[in-house]
Amino acid sequence: MSNKSAYSFIYKMRIQKALAYRFDVFANIIFQCIAMFATAFFWKAIYSGYDSVQGAGVYDMLTYTVISAVMSILFVTTVEFKLMESVKKGTVAMDMLKPVPLFSIYFFEDLGNITSLFFINGLPILLIGSLFIGMPLPADGVSAALFFVSLLMSFFINWFFAALFSLLSFVTINMSPLIQVKKHILRLLSGSIIPVWFFPEWAQGILGALPFVYIYQLPLDLYIGRYTLQTAMPKLTIQLVWLVILSGSFYAAEKSMTKKVMVQGG
Amino acid sequence: MDTIVVKNLKKEYKIAQKEKGLAGAVKNLFVRKYEILRAVDDISFTIPKGEITAFIGPNGAGKSTTVKMMSGILVPTSGDILINGRNPQKDRVHVVQDLGVVFGQRTQLNWDLRLGESFEMMRHIYKIPKAMYEENLKVMDDILGIEEIINIPVRQLSLGQRMRGDLVAAMLHSPSVLFLDEPTIGLDVEGKYAIRKFIKEINRVKGTTIILTTHDLGDIEELCKRLIIINKGKIVEDGPLEELVNRIAPNRNLVVEYYDENYVEHEQAKIINVEGNIVTYQFSKKEITGAGLICDISDRAKIKDATIKEVKIDDIIRIAYRG
Repeated sequence: MSNKSAYSFIYKMRIQKALAYRFDVFANIIFQCIAMFATAFFWKAIYSGYDSVQGAGVYDMLTYTVISAVMSILFVTTVEFKLMESVKKGTVAMDMLKPVPLFSIYFFEDLGNITSLFFINGLPILLIGSLFIGMPLPADGVSAALFFVSLLMSFFINWFFAALFSLLSFVTINMSPLIQVKKHILRLLSGSIIPVWFFPEWAQGILGALPFVYIYQLPLDLYIGRYTLQTAMPKLTIQLVWLVILSGSFYAAEKSMTKKVMVQGG
Repeated sequence: MDTIVVKNLKKEYKIAQKEKGLAGAVKNLFVRKYEILRAVDDISFTIPKGEITAFIGPNGAGKSTTVKMMSGILVPTSGDILINGRNPQKDRVHVVQDLGVVFGQRTQLNWDLRLGESFEMMRHIYKIPKAMYEENLKVMDDILGIEEIINIPVRQLSLGQRMRGDLVAAMLHSPSVLFLDEPTIGLDVEGKYAIRKFIKEINRVKGTTIILTTHDLGDIEELCKRLIIINKGKIVEDGPLEELVNRIAPNRNLVVEYYDENYVEHEQAKIINVEGNIVTYQFSKKEITGAGLICDISDRAKIKDATIKEVKIDDIIRIAYRG
């Protein structure tokens, strides 16, 4: 029994919905661009007088900034809000009653949302960034290929982390501030704004052991060519391990939460 | 064959006891005492195919808990449930394919989408064949007039319109069993009428087995042959409405208006009130019919007017709740 048609329907539905909110589309482009320009000017100011800091030149940093801005569009998740609303309204038990798994629905909604966001926000940001900050080209062909492999895993790590986080809806009273806090902590610790190699040695050690740097930092580093094929492999392996750990713990947690809902009555 | 079989169903909730005051609240942070609340206490019943049954009972009697367990949302503490021969907890996927559920106070429609898109969503989720989907939509449009609201986003619908949408959404996959939890709650007269008409029609056309919980006695009078009254987690009454009325209130009142203050007595009726030329008789339905009594009295004296007063169904239900 396949749920394919349901998923593709949800995906298309969500694309349509994202296109319906015009103000959101334009406001988001503007906000993202402001953040992107601010970061770019920050790097330009820091690099005045230096050719390279921590092995990265100013051009690398500008590329890093633009690509990071585009990536942040791809990593938008709504699963936390969706589950929070469902728990608040008390419809979660009913939603679980559908013949299609609840989180699969959320996943395809997110996928649809991201697809439309990529075209209406991601591409304009990429274009504006290329024109006014610098054309963000990958270091070479291998770097680009490694980047896409890593990006795919990043995407799933990010989503499973969000899904795992969303399960907190069952145990907290007010989830929405937590979602905001999570979002910003994640962006800080993942190196999406400031690469972690600017952090002190000990902090880099700690962050290297956490999953966050494998969401933004690793694909970005690969893109600007900080790794060769050989040096990239161990990093990609750790990334894969994190993907397995996060998806595994999500499935386990989701199962026990479902059971709890069924026993205690939502 | 019975569509629904419920046997010795029990549901217990563990409720954390909250102690009073700040000291109590702090204490509760560390040590929690639990109290067992038995919401459903040993309920058994069977419902044959195509029957409309009403669950009634005071708030907190365990009606919704029972419906939730039957629809597979809640796991019972003990007891068995079979819907079309299947257990809703163990065989969830199959049971829900053949089950429609509507909770009057909650909607399963997507708030942001047009009503029609919520229906499309159902079509995909339940894998409804296109022909069947369109056929069902047409049948339900004839009864509920859904076509005129199908393009409105759900959040802009009135409560009555939303309820109609919810009913359609629950019936799109042609389930053989439909659970309705307070389907007419908060609706105006017109809305209630539409919903009742829909329930009757669906039951007649498709032979759907329907269980509804309600506080609206009009629903029961109009729809249900059978009534199950639940109170404090136990079934206190189970049977046709008429039987219940006859048992709890076997007596009726006859109010006779005479031309003057000379009234007559009757051996099978008791006079319970005299007000000038208006006399109220009480009689038992078993002993004499209303028509017979009027006939006898008008033979003996000249009467101007006679009315039979039924006991109000509200009163009967209230008596039944008290047990």
